Amino acid sequence: MSTVRIRGGRVYDPINGIDGEVRDIVMREGRIVALDPRQAVDEEIDAGGCIVMAGGIDMHTHIGGGKVNLARLLLPEDHRGAGNNPIALPENPLELASCGTCAPGTLAIGYRYVEMGYTAAFEPAMLRGNARHAHMEMGDVPVLDHGAYVMLGNDELFLQMLAEGQDFQRIRDYAGWTINAAKAMGVKVVNPGGISAFKFNQRKLDVDEDHVHWHVTPRQVVQTLARAVKELGVPHPLHIHGSNLGVAGNIESTLETIAALEGLPAHLTHIQFHAYGTEGPKKFSSAALQLAEAVNANPNVSIDVGQIMFGQTVTASGDTMRQHAQSGLANPRKWIGADIECEAGCGVVPFRYREASFVNALQWAIGLEIFLLVNDPWRVVLTTDHPNGGPFTSYPHLIRLLMDRSFREEQLARLHPDVAAQAALKSIQRELTLYEIAIMTRAGPAKLLGLSDRGHLGEGAAADIAVYRAHDNPETMFSKPEYVFKDGVLVSRAGRVTATPVGGTHFVEPEYDKSIETLLRKHFATHGSMAFEHMAMDHDELCSCCNGGRLLPVACFENAHG
Amino acid sequence: MSASLAPTTAPTAAAGRWVCPFCPLLCDSVGIRLGGAGAALELQGTECHRAAPALARFSRTPPAVAPSIDGQACGLDAAIAAAARMLAASHQPLFGGLGTDVAGARALYPLACATGAICDPAAGEALMQTVRALQDRGGFTSTFAELRNRADLIVFFGAPGPNGADFIRRAGLGEGLVPARHLACLGHEPAPALAGLPNTGSETIAWQGDAFASAAMLAALVAGKKVREASPELAALAARLQAAAYSVIVWDAAGLPAQGGLIIEMLQRAVATLNQRTRSAGFPLGGSVSAATVNQVFSWLSGLPLRSRAGALGLEHEPYCFDAKRLLADGSVDALLWISSFGPDFPVPSATLPRIVLGHPEMAPPAGGKDIVFIPVSTPGVGSAGHLFRTDGVVLMSLLPIPGYIETLPTAAEVLGRITLALKAQMAGGSP
Repeated sequence: MSTVRIRGGRVYDPINGIDGEVRDIVMREGRIVALDPRQAVDEEIDAGGCIVMAGGIDMHTHIGGGKVNLARLLLPEDHRGAGNNPIALPENPLELASCGTCAPGTLAIGYRYVEMGYTAAFEPAMLRGNARHAHMEMGDVPVLDHGAYVMLGNDELFLQMLAEGQDFQRIRDYAGWTINAAKAMGVKVVNPGGISAFKFNQRKLDVDEDHVHWHVTPRQVVQTLARAVKELGVPHPLHIHGSNLGVAGNIESTLETIAALEGLPAHLTHIQFHAYGTEGPKKFSSAALQLAEAVNANPNVSIDVGQIMFGQTVTASGDTMRQHAQSGLANPRKWIGADIECEAGCGVVPFRYREASFVNALQWAIGLEIFLLVNDPWRVVLTTDHPNGGPFTSYPHLIRLLMDRSFREEQLARLHPDVAAQAALKSIQRELTLYEIAIMTRAGPAKLLGLSDRGHLGEGAAADIAVYRAHDNPETMFSKPEYVFKDGVLVSRAGRVTATPVGGTHFVEPEYDKSIETLLRKHFATHGSMAFEHMAMDHDELCSCCNGGRLLPVACFENAHG
Repeated sequence: MSASLAPTTAPTAAAGRWVCPFCPLLCDSVGIRLGGAGAALELQGTECHRAAPALARFSRTPPAVAPSIDGQACGLDAAIAAAARMLAASHQPLFGGLGTDVAGARALYPLACATGAICDPAAGEALMQTVRALQDRGGFTSTFAELRNRADLIVFFGAPGPNGADFIRRAGLGEGLVPARHLACLGHEPAPALAGLPNTGSETIAWQGDAFASAAMLAALVAGKKVREASPELAALAARLQAAAYSVIVWDAAGLPAQGGLIIEMLQRAVATLNQRTRSAGFPLGGSVSAATVNQVFSWLSGLPLRSRAGALGLEHEPYCFDAKRLLADGSVDALLWISSFGPDFPVPSATLPRIVLGHPEMAPPAGGKDIVFIPVSTPGVGSAGHLFRTDGVVLMSLLPIPGYIETLPTAAEVLGRITLALKAQMAGGSP
């Protein structure tokens, strides 16, 4: 039973209200313990001049599953560009060869996240029919704990039940079964009803527009799912990728979606892509202020930003309707799409964000404006929607943009001249503090996911800890922490992976009325493509998919619909 | 670890829960019958000319086939040590066959990294046609449930291959979910299974020139271009595609001619054109289920598909150069690890280089061989659990061992894991 003390670091632990106090953190058996400072320990780590935070938690990053692997297959040039073939093998004998920047292999995903001080990542778009695959890939991301949100709201059964006006309880039970079957951490809805509508050749779906076949609206879909997730007691509220992604003027849809919630909790994801107005000569403008006002006024809503970063990336989404519409912008000019199992779809479109592009420059500014205009950092999560806005490896750069106004202005000045001259961002003076960064990158996501023993450094928490060398340049500081611990094990030292334990899987198991299975059995026999008995994963299979990592069931709220 | 791995204790399939691992359709409503000891396994209540002969190679009690070195029976430990020595001595090994599942591929990757092996599956050329078309142009595909519920026009571009009849069943042809379906068969007569299906019309359309020319003409016709050489039937098909609500173009990846990736590209161009106004999708049928599965796993682990290696110079993907047949013919590799867990379908190439074979018991080499290590391994879905990707590439099916089947063999994943450990011990200077 070895005890390790991290001595004399400046601690930022927002869940416990600690804002830069110099104090010791002690770990034993993978947990944080309270220990008298005079008591001897087996090992002491001098964290003088360092910043100590809980391990980072990325709650929206496309790290595993069908569309991510399609992105890898589509983009060999991400892995062996000019002058990069063969790709140098890792010098670290603990690493296996794995490459890619915007569509990295799972091994590289784990190594690069850990080197930056992250200890958990969540795949936001898992199809039930592809759940085994998604869990397999996540199990092959070394070190990081992981979990995924299962997609609902575009599956024909849900839409049919809604269209037929079936009892809400039945729909809720179906959602409960789906979460259990896929071993999910939450539920995500993508372009509510729109992925299905595209299969019926509908090309646009506003919040109050009818699905051409089922004659239900995105408003109904969002309301029903948000309520179902809440009543099932799932800690993470409905994860919403809203209507009209990327469309000029889509702020209307976003505000309508917030209104549709009628106070129900929800998380609006990659909100930057949903905060566009139609003002100005190019009919494309920032609606960050409107969005921020709505978020500030609706405490039931949290967001992650989906900041864009300039350079090559690939967009991978379940939103077939919108990805098809954007596919003409593919760079390089190729893309992959699929209609999947009457459940959902996928679209993978490579993209290069350019500083000289008015639209891209404005998207960049909008993302930063949102970060800086929303008052409550507990409801804003730092993401690039990896890889859709940019690869996760750009987080240290993003943090610098948020913490350093003069750096931000220098960057803004390099962009398309109209944006550089007119963006509201220019007049925003706020610089985020380390405390706020700690909220947006670990404490906030842990709370939004219901992870009571992660994202903080209090007694009893898991010893997931990042120790950064303090530096005037936050990008330098956040790129290579001095020490990263995962469940008390040193997994990275000064940007070099030192151990590769298998991460654990977070999931929820809400209760539901099992009699719904009669309906499901009948439906899938008539409409599905595999036997009902083969659909759900049990714990043993989850364990084998996840590569033998620990199963980390997260407690649901009790009496959620009592 | 003991000399022989313990028989698998994984949960077995409950009655009626068998998933057939022998073709990419991975049918999961198949019954199975175990006879007495020594009697071959049989399908129950269904016929399948792929599953039946594959199952006939197994009986409830498998034959006691031991690992061997040069045809001489030996213990598992000795075979693993010999395999590790062979790989340690090799300057450029080739991992071929690759007839395994997700767990096998997961265990194979670290060994490939440790040895710098080139990995190319049996039927690698068919797989690479699909991969290259995807790398160059992308594409839009559909899955079985979508076909069953939506497809009002299905175009079989070339004969659907050995899975044709099962495909028709799995795609729900003849059911009432879509009021009227039409099937167009290019270059072949409709399968007998289509005769008399309700609500389903079919027609045969002759190739215009060859498959390449026909695909190019079809793509041009659906784009509204005038193609003087096109037959009225092909022009009518283009019009049908434009009028269909949801058309699906099916091709057999394994049946395409050389450079067949170009055909996939042209068919996908037609799909892309159609999707501007109506709905359409491609559907790749057939190929090797294990090759597709190992390709997925290697892609997610490393970022690169098969025909790659983590060699001395670095990680390389060479879809043309890393062709197993060519490498063997040129003598460019000096050791071969061959995996064929699902049966003896992937015969070991008759090369003179040192060979390690992880295979079905029937693949045991005769006595008196030279430089050959053989380790019989369990078949996922018969003797052990496992996972394989279905032909539409999205659904990863869970395989369970057949209830009542008595497994005595280790899985390929277990053996590969032990070879990797033995190799590392040898390279670190430890005893084999």
